[in-house]
Amino acid sequence: MAVAPEKAPEKAPAQRPPARGAGTVALDWAKKGLALRESSIIVVIVASLVYFGATTPGFFSGWKNLLPYFCFLAIMAAGEVFVMTLGEIDLSIGALWLFTPFMYWKLTSAGIPLLPSVILALMIASLLGGVNGFFTAYVGIPSFVATLAMLFFLDGLALILSHSQQITTPGTSVTQTSTFASVFGAGTYSELIWALVIMGILQVVLTFTRWGIYTVATGGNRLGASEAGVKTRLVVVRNFMLCATTAGIAGILEAVRTSSITPDPSGSNQFLLYAVAAVIIGGTLMTGGEGTVVGAFLGALFIGILQDGLTLKSVNANYLYLWLGIAVIIAMTLYVLVRRIRRGSGRG
Amino acid sequence: MADQAFAGQPIVEPSTAPDDVLRIEHIAKRFGPITALRDINLHLRKGEVLGLLGDNGAGKSTLVKIICGFHKADSGSMWLKGKPYAPKSVLDARAQGVDTVYQDLALVDELSATQNLFLRREQTYRPLPFLAGRKMRREARAALDEIGINIPRIDLPAARLSGGQRQAIAVARAIRDQSEILLLDEPLAAMGAKEGAMILDLIARLKDRGDVSIIMIVHNYVQVFQACDRANLIQDGLITFDKPTAESSVDELNEIVVEEYRRARQAEMSGNGEASRYNAA
Ligand SMILES: Nc1ncnc2c1ncn2[C@@H]1O[C@H](COP(=O)(O)OP(=O)(O)OP(=O)(O)O)[C@@H](O)[C@H]1O
Ligand SMILES: [Mg+2]
Repeated sequence: MAVAPEKAPEKAPAQRPPARGAGTVALDWAKKGLALRESSIIVVIVASLVYFGATTPGFFSGWKNLLPYFCFLAIMAAGEVFVMTLGEIDLSIGALWLFTPFMYWKLTSAGIPLLPSVILALMIASLLGGVNGFFTAYVGIPSFVATLAMLFFLDGLALILSHSQQITTPGTSVTQTSTFASVFGAGTYSELIWALVIMGILQVVLTFTRWGIYTVATGGNRLGASEAGVKTRLVVVRNFMLCATTAGIAGILEAVRTSSITPDPSGSNQFLLYAVAAVIIGGTLMTGGEGTVVGAFLGALFIGILQDGLTLKSVNANYLYLWLGIAVIIAMTLYVLVRRIRRGSGRG
Repeated sequence: MADQAFAGQPIVEPSTAPDDVLRIEHIAKRFGPITALRDINLHLRKGEVLGLLGDNGAGKSTLVKIICGFHKADSGSMWLKGKPYAPKSVLDARAQGVDTVYQDLALVDELSATQNLFLRREQTYRPLPFLAGRKMRREARAALDEIGINIPRIDLPAARLSGGQRQAIAVARAIRDQSEILLLDEPLAAMGAKEGAMILDLIARLKDRGDVSIIMIVHNYVQVFQACDRANLIQDGLITFDKPTAESSVDELNEIVVEEYRRARQAEMSGNGEASRYNAA
């Protein structure tokens, strides 16, 4: 006897379209998945996890080693998403990452308690971001140039403030971890929690608030947005301030975690490039109008996996750059193609 | 030439014309070396549809953008319902009841139809700052149904809409706010015959309500006579023609514009540089 169908076929009214077969539904989902901005990075992450899991003993059991590689990058990248969604770029986040802890150190040396110093240092960082935004939006300098200038300026200032000497991060000690230190980066999961919380908040801001809508509008069609009444210059300034603040947070967390700050601009600017790569791999094109914070988080995770995995395999660090280069170009190509599908062909 | 242009159109003080919702006097606007508007005088009566005509580059859009608060005029003054009117921004103008459909539509490709319709007019779950997505989608659907233009999926990015659908969103956005003055910069440009008729119907319905006054830029003279009560022509940065459509005809308008063109050609041939802008055409 034939197995009865699970569901009796519905008596569809004649004017309704015919019920869609499982095949079409699956195709629909596949299309939706493809259209998801984060789809490529998820595939790439799964692939890299499988690869390192299979070839590198201890990769999964030592997963906590991954955290320091990517958490602070994810925080920097989250802010950069807001700038790159505008079609702009902030090149000064590495320098801010370096400079903000020094500012924090200076403030504590002036006798200000730890927490207020952190807050003040972050406010200064956000002001510096405001300067980036001002020169970009009001003076009309390309953000690439304005933030490049800020990069050099802050690198110089960090070197001058520190007399090029490594310093011990205030509020930390090598022998014991205070509550302050474990909250601000030294705790095993502290940076991860910060990264997740910041990602969550900023993704919600980007998708579900006016701020996010105006960011997309300003990035997508600046003239049109301002005709509709969006104060696009203010949006630009605000987003640069946000981006600088997240870079500052990342810097302070890292300084507390490592309990020392080294004035090493080449190192910090390396992180700038990683963060930008994370944003792009994650699905935020620099063309403006599209961005995802979750994607940037995953992009940073991918860079962390690469770093951790390649270190465990004790492969030459140069391979990291090689793979990163390939990943960036593949990601970008994929997004351009997916975008063409999503928008229908013709309109690039 | 200027004197002739204003013959029969004396400046009436706002107080003496109580049914003018909008008066514009001596508005001038330059963009660097380009003089877009020289001396514009114009008035809009309550409940009236005023057609604004003029060649490409005559300054029609510029005038609209001055009224809606996007540009600031170099000189001149405006009155809204008898009170001095100097909008500080697009939002300020909107708050005072002036809304606009821009020639470029001011849509964002990456935002959905709904998000575009509510751009800078978003609704949130107050006091929370989160967007009331479902509510806005429902109202967007209703607004588009009212216009009568079919957009099957209002959650798709605007990039995937047709030109006419995009235009419908821009129109729906402007009329949803129940503004007293609507500025429509070529609202029919991308519309098919049927959709164009729908928009004209919509304008007629708004007019029947009696509390909306409209300035509409149209290039098609037939549509001018269908939809407008009065027509103004901008030439050379001045209003050179102001007549109720009932007292004019397509032929008369054609005559004026073509005459102007002929004069300019003639002047050019005799070496007068003032008319050289026709070279660009
Ligand atoms: N933002 C601007 N910057 C510089 N020049 C401008 C600007 N906007 C308009 N113009 C100039 O002002 C003049 C009038 O332009 P406007 O857009 O108002 O013309 P229009 O009458 O709307 O023409 P069309 O029928 O083609 O839309 C043109 O010469 C144009 O080049
Ligand atoms: Mg125009």
